[in-house]
Parts: sequence; C-alpha cells; structure tokens
Amino acid sequence: MKVVIMGCGRVGAQLAGLLDTDGHSVTILDTDAYSFRRLPSTFSGTALVGNGLNEEVLKKAGIEEADAFVALTQGDNRNVMASQIAKHIFNVPRVVCRIYDPLRQELYSTLGVEAFSPTTIFAQMLREKLES
Amino acid sequence: MYIIIVGGGRLGYYLTKALLDEGHEVLIVEKNPTFCQIINDELGSVCVRGDGCEAATLADIGTARADMFIAVTGDDEDNLVACQVAKHKFNVPRTTARVRNPQNETIFKKLGIDVTVSSTNIILESIKEEVPTHPLTHLLTIRDQGLEIVEVKIPPDATTIGKPVKELSLPPGSRLALIIPKERKPRLPTSDTILRDGDRVIAVTTPESEEALRAVLRGA
Amino acid sequence: MEFHKILVPVIGSQADEETIKLACRLARQDKSEVRAIYIITMTRDLPLDAESEAEIQKAEDTLNHIETVAEQENYRIDTDVLQAREAGPTIVDEAVEREVDLILIGVVYKRRFGEFSLGEVAPYVLKNAPCRVILYHQYSDESAV
Repeated sequence: MKVVIMGCGRVGAQLAGLLDTDGHSVTILDTDAYSFRRLPSTFSGTALVGNGLNEEVLKKAGIEEADAFVALTQGDNRNVMASQIAKHIFNVPRVVCRIYDPLRQELYSTLGVEAFSPTTIFAQMLREKLES
Repeated sequence: MYIIIVGGGRLGYYLTKALLDEGHEVLIVEKNPTFCQIINDELGSVCVRGDGCEAATLADIGTARADMFIAVTGDDEDNLVACQVAKHKFNVPRTTARVRNPQNETIFKKLGIDVTVSSTNIILESIKEEVPTHPLTHLLTIRDQGLEIVEVKIPPDATTIGKPVKELSLPPGSRLALIIPKERKPRLPTSDTILRDGDRVIAVTTPESEEALRAVLRGA
Repeated sequence: MEFHKILVPVIGSQADEETIKLACRLARQDKSEVRAIYIITMTRDLPLDAESEAEIQKAEDTLNHIETVAEQENYRIDTDVLQAREAGPTIVDEAVEREVDLILIGVVYKRRFGEFSLGEVAPYVLKNAPCRVILYHQYSDESAV
C-alpha cells in the first residue's frame, strides 16, 4: 500500500523504516530536512520537506492516491487538523493520528478520527508492569 | 450573551474590550501568564490562564453555557481544534475561528466551523475595492442564505453599454439592486434602464453565479 | 492613625473572629464604621446571578457568627453578602466605591504543594487596595511546624 507519514521524529522515522522494509511505498513529510537524518540508511521511500497542513504539499506527497495517512508531529492540533484534511478533503481510506492529550484523543475518536494517545497507552503499560 | 474568546493577543484583547462595552459577559483563555496579567490589570478579571483546546479547561470556564465561542490565536490548527472541542463536546451554538492561511477557510467550513475570519482575505477585499479597474467587488456575504451582494463596474469596452437591463440574461439567483452612474444619482433599475459606461451595478447573487453575472453585465 | 470606614472580608475561617475583634477595637476610638462582607465566588460554569442555597446558607451563618462576636465586643457592625467571580477585585472595588480607609484581612497559615502560601486574595488586595491594609495572620500549631 501507499502510505504518507507526516512528521519525521523518532516514531515517524521508525515507522517509515518498518513499512519500507515490508515493501510498502512510503512518503514521509517534515518541515525540517534535518529530521530526515533519523531515517534508516536503507530507506527507499520519498522524504519531502513541507508542511502537512498545506494541501499543495500533501498533493505533492501523493495523498490523492494514498491508502493510508499517519500524523505524527509533536503538536496534537497539527495532527488533528492534518488528519481531518486527509480524511475529509482527500478521502484517504485509512487515517491514523497521534494525540498526546487523552481527553482530546477521546473526543476525536468519537468524531471518526482513528486516534491513539501514547500517554494513555504508556501509563496503562507501566501500571500492568508494576502490578504484575 | 456569554462569549468565550481563545487567545489573548492583540485581536483577542480588542475584541474583548469591544464586546464588554456592548454589555456581554466575556472571558478570555490565554496560555501566556504575562498576557493574562496585562489583560486582567486593564480589563478587570476577564482572563483565565489555560489551553483553550483542552476539554478540562473549557469545562471549568462554563463552555457548556456559552452562546458564542471565538478562537483567535495565531495558529490555525489551534483555532480549529478549540472550536471543534467547543462545538462537539460542549454544544456551543456558534463557533468562529480566525484563519491565518486563507487556504484553510474552505477546510474549516468543511470541518464544521460556523464562521471563519481571514484577515488576509479581508485586507485583500478592501484593497480590491480601492482598485477601480477590478471587475467585481464583494460587498457583503450572507453566509447562511448562500447569498452575496457584489458591485460590478461597467468598463468602457463593455458590449452591454447602451442596452436595456431586460436584454441581459441574468444567471439564476441574481438580481440587480441598484445602479450608480458616474456623477449622477443612484437609481433603482427597471427593465428599461440603459447601462452606461462607468456605471456601478450593485447586485444580489450567489457564489456560484457570481462569475456568470460579471460576464453578462460586461458582455464578455 | 485614624480610620473612619473599615472593611473586613470574612470567609468562615478560623481567622475571622480575631480579625473582627481587632476591627472593633480599632474602630471604637474614632467611632468608625465597620463593614464585614462575605463574598460568594461563583465559578464560571454558572451565570454570575445563579443562586446556590448552600453557599448563601454558609454566608449567612458566617456573618451571623461575626455579628455575635462584634456584640460581645459591644460594637455594632454592618454585614453584607456579595456575589462575584473573584474575591480580590471585589474587595478592592468595594473599598473604592465606599471610600473605605482600611481593609482588614485575616489569613490562616496554609501550605500549598508543601510550601507556605498566602493564597491569591490577600496578595491581590495588598497590591491593588486604594487604602491602608492590615493583614492579620492567625497563629496555629501548624505555623510552628
């Protein structure tokens, strides 16, 4: 499948590497070219400098033919907005979004954005570790 | 009315001042403690420190009873999320977002924000009004009715000059409201009114018919 | 020092009694007016004019108690209940409006996040009052800790 990832931080870069290894076609976006240093040297996908909130940039990244879009920047609101653009403007079939704030994650999940909160997941994981 | 404003920058400050003068209950949510302090010192205690995108903050300040919610921070994505949280979690009847990037106006509309305000577009419009050669000027948009009031200037090369209004085939939903000739009094157009060079025609139309109306009036 | 109008905000704390006694003693000399006010702070989730039975009851109980204390001091005081969003600015506004020349506030020793805290109201009044302010700090065992 064709995947567009917005945000080349640690998670974005690692996900891009994994999907690339699995044979998917990956395009990763970041506003800072320096972030692309995190990509594995074997990465065979496309890395593009640009703001994922900009429709032109998204088109350039091939969002119109994408099967999936993942929003992984540091800003919850940026992720939420980009995901909604991908979902409602470009009709990307699968849109996944990271939202740190658990309350916001809950709300946007009910609004149809597939959102994950690392805060909730990690806290639960630690609790399970400690209580087992 | 109870009005909540997110963002205590210059825009939020003056907006609050104006709304307070009109007698509304107004509250600003601002992240920066220094800004909060300044606002509270100058306008009385109308500013709380917090993140206007956070549901917990919005619950504390009584967003559920707000009549209007206006997000005017400097970041489009923050304004979008603040309005969406207000709308979907607290059912605020009217949400307004400031849009920095004019491109985002259509996106915001599509995502359910009731009103968007783009300073770039407003400035562009008023510049266009000042440019006499511009073919069509937006005077007013009546959003919930899908109507707008526009002004079209008849240029010297228009093929409609000398023709009566009844010979124009106006696009659907369009009506001529007023004709302002050069150096003469404005008049209400009848079907026999003749168009002249330099006339300014004020018309009611729809966003879809706007281009067609311009073409009909100028005979293009 | 002469005081003609003394304003005493009370909140139903341990410091109220001593504060009002002090106010009465200061007032006697110049036959000053003493006005005790209780401010009901309405949270933003309710309109400013919302009525909370429990809060009104607490305000009245507090002011009744304060009046009894004043009677024991043989001094007549005025009392009033105000409703506002925030106590600090309300006290300052009241002082301005009624041309008060002394605000007497009582505080009890409090800790917040493990540190001594004066709260928000007393510092606000100290900073913004249009007149003299006397701060009465109630001694408690906890203060000695």
